[in-house]
Amino acid sequence: MPTLLGVVLLVFFLFNWVGGDPAYILAGKIASPEAIENIRRSLGVDQPYWVQLWIFIKQIAVADFGASWSTNERVSQIFATRLGPSLTVLVPLLLISTLLALAAAMLVAYYRGSLTDRAIMIGCTVGQSVSILVYILVFQYLLAYQLGWFPVQGWGSTFADNLLLYAALPILVGVVVSLAPDIRLYRSVFLDEMSQDYVRTARAKGLGEGRVMWLHVLRNAAIPIVTNVMTQIPGLLAGAFLIERFFSIPGIGREVILAVERSDFPVIKAVTVYVAIATLIINLAADLLYRALDPRVQLK
Amino acid sequence: MRHLVAALSFWVLGAQAADPSKILRITFQAAETGFDPVRVSDYYSGTVIEAIFDPLLTYDYLARPARLVPNTAVSLPEISDQGRTYTLAVKRGIYFADDPAFKGAKRELTAADYAYSIGRFLDPKKRSPYAFLYEGVAKLETPERYTLRIRLKHPDLNFGHVLAFSLSGAVAREAIEAYGDESAAHPVGTGPFRLKRYVRSSKIVLEANPGYREVVREGRRLPLIGGVEISIMEETQSRWLAFQRGDTDMEYQLAEVAPTFITPGGELKPEFARRGIKLERSVDPEIIYLYFNMQDKTVGGLSKEKIALRRAIAMAYKIEDQIRIIRKGQSIRAQYPIPPGVAGHDPDYRSSIAHDPRAANALLDKFGYRKGPDGYRSMPDGERLVIRYSSTPSERDRQFDELMKRSLDSIAVRLEIHKDRFPELIKLENQCRLMMRTSAWIADYPDGDNFMQLLYGPNSGQSNNACYRSAEYDKRYEKSRLLPHGPERDRLYREMTRIMETDTVWLLTDSRYRNVLLQPRVRGFTKHPVMHAEWLYIDLE
Repeated sequence: MPTLLGVVLLVFFLFNWVGGDPAYILAGKIASPEAIENIRRSLGVDQPYWVQLWIFIKQIAVADFGASWSTNERVSQIFATRLGPSLTVLVPLLLISTLLALAAAMLVAYYRGSLTDRAIMIGCTVGQSVSILVYILVFQYLLAYQLGWFPVQGWGSTFADNLLLYAALPILVGVVVSLAPDIRLYRSVFLDEMSQDYVRTARAKGLGEGRVMWLHVLRNAAIPIVTNVMTQIPGLLAGAFLIERFFSIPGIGREVILAVERSDFPVIKAVTVYVAIATLIINLAADLLYRALDPRVQLK
Repeated sequence: MRHLVAALSFWVLGAQAADPSKILRITFQAAETGFDPVRVSDYYSGTVIEAIFDPLLTYDYLARPARLVPNTAVSLPEISDQGRTYTLAVKRGIYFADDPAFKGAKRELTAADYAYSIGRFLDPKKRSPYAFLYEGVAKLETPERYTLRIRLKHPDLNFGHVLAFSLSGAVAREAIEAYGDESAAHPVGTGPFRLKRYVRSSKIVLEANPGYREVVREGRRLPLIGGVEISIMEETQSRWLAFQRGDTDMEYQLAEVAPTFITPGGELKPEFARRGIKLERSVDPEIIYLYFNMQDKTVGGLSKEKIALRRAIAMAYKIEDQIRIIRKGQSIRAQYPIPPGVAGHDPDYRSSIAHDPRAANALLDKFGYRKGPDGYRSMPDGERLVIRYSSTPSERDRQFDELMKRSLDSIAVRLEIHKDRFPELIKLENQCRLMMRTSAWIADYPDGDNFMQLLYGPNSGQSNNACYRSAEYDKRYEKSRLLPHGPERDRLYREMTRIMETDTVWLLTDSRYRNVLLQPRVRGFTKHPVMHAEWLYIDLE
């Protein structure tokens, strides 16, 4: 609760401090002072700050953030229609990148110091230093435009079309971008575990390398891995705005950018609060998972 | 009997409807906000609205400068009472597109629909961004079913342009009431297209309205195409690649990559021309200008030394660099406050303000702006001289900042850049609290009045962002409002421009080119200065 209250206060004061007066955006090209005042009154931004803050808190309590100031669309409707496209891209992206990163990290950790390890680590360092924007521009140009393997951009009307056709390239870009940091992180976690006594004991008992790595090392390395994966989940709610903009995916990330550009406070409020609540829930779930993975962990 | 005739004519005309296989695919570079005419102010929503709703008047597609012609009105308005009363007759037998809001009945367009639609702009609860266009309306009367009489508060010979404005189309009260807050997503009009599929901020699909009245051009009934598919693509690379792959038919939002396909001479590069791609190039009906706040204590006022300071800054500013570097050659120098394609534009007029830093320095020396030990000038009274230029934190505005810095350095004037978000700049501007800013104005309607009002004294704090008040200018402006487009009004406009230049209120910089790329299969497209949805006239092979 204190965390959520902190987020509410932060977003409220940040918006009022740096967000700009929305009335001047909504008023159009020529607006008289009366028209500006009329808009401010209808949006409620003419009220004292404490009244506006109280309205915000009541909106959170009833989970109703009203309608967008610029399009008049209900905020709940915005989430209902934009979350699907975002999740269509981000859920497979998270699953694929996690599985690939785990496999690759285990491989390079196992062959530590080998040419494969060094080559992959150099590749990861280089890959991590390149901006996501470059990946998007190059992949879109090469794979979609030049080679024609994917659509350049777009979004269809069926789930299958979207997942298999339109989301494929955005997922590929996302996977490539997230692989490098994930492999580096998981590799160091695996290396820590592989030098533990229990690994030597398992090998001394005659267990196969596959069983040692996939069962014993992976399970003991699970806590930092779970932490890393779980911290990425709330981000699914906020979407991936660059990917969504370049590939014209009607997701929540694009909507957030639009809302910021238009000073559309109801949408900004809703996204911030939902992401904060999701973060709190995911953190709780992560704690419970730690306990399930390692009975030595005590929850207080 | 009349209903029977109407039904038969619908059946016959329906048989000649637009070819449904011809779908024009285009993009918008920003998301629309909705399709309720009173609620929108963005270009993209306005474009779709123009295709769905019918104003009383419209523009001749090919005439330049733009010329008003009747649309759903029988003829151009009868103007009486010295420009205070407009009377129009609405054509009979025009029907709204079928919609559940009409409960299965055919709904005919009448004068009351226009009275209702215009009345909505005047309703403060609707807080329409374009209410200012209609604020001269005193009373809307419908003496007969098909007759609309508009009484204005003051004489206004340009009100016909307001009636042709894309948002002045007729909405049906039943549809607005049926959809309530959702009416922005359920547009129901009498125009050539109707909304078929709508995914907000992503996809807008229009289909030819099968009940569209008979409009014939060159022997063919309009619209010629079966629909328009609009994809929202914010990023230039996505739009450019999609066009090159043939995924879209028309693209005009490629200013950033224009040198890729346009030669320095303004022609389409041969590699694109060989593929049959066509370039339609025109100058947008807009002006970009640098304004000085005439109420500011440093640069404002009409004393000789203040005029000299503004003049020197204007002479130091290198417009050529703005066009070459910032616009990448995709704009032309603006000489006159009324851009090309707009009634009142004077192609022979030449600005008296030329780029000449040496003369600018001499002017400042003459009026006592002495250089100090730090190399920068001070005010004639010895106070520190700092020019404060306001801009947004965008990448493009940073380029303007750098150009301004270079320009003012050439006359040894110290510059301070004031950064703020766009709404805050507008707020300060409306309060006459900015010193200097680069601003733009694009025509709401293609008449010089829409531009010359930008310097009219009573508009200070609204569209007159320089907060300029000149009795000489205002006197001529008031006189011009009582005149139709013609030599007498043009003469007044020229005089007003010279007054503004003498006072050096603005430095007109440029007007941007609109480069429309067309796939080989697109036929019949000509960019109109103010009509956005030229889809009515386009054909596809």
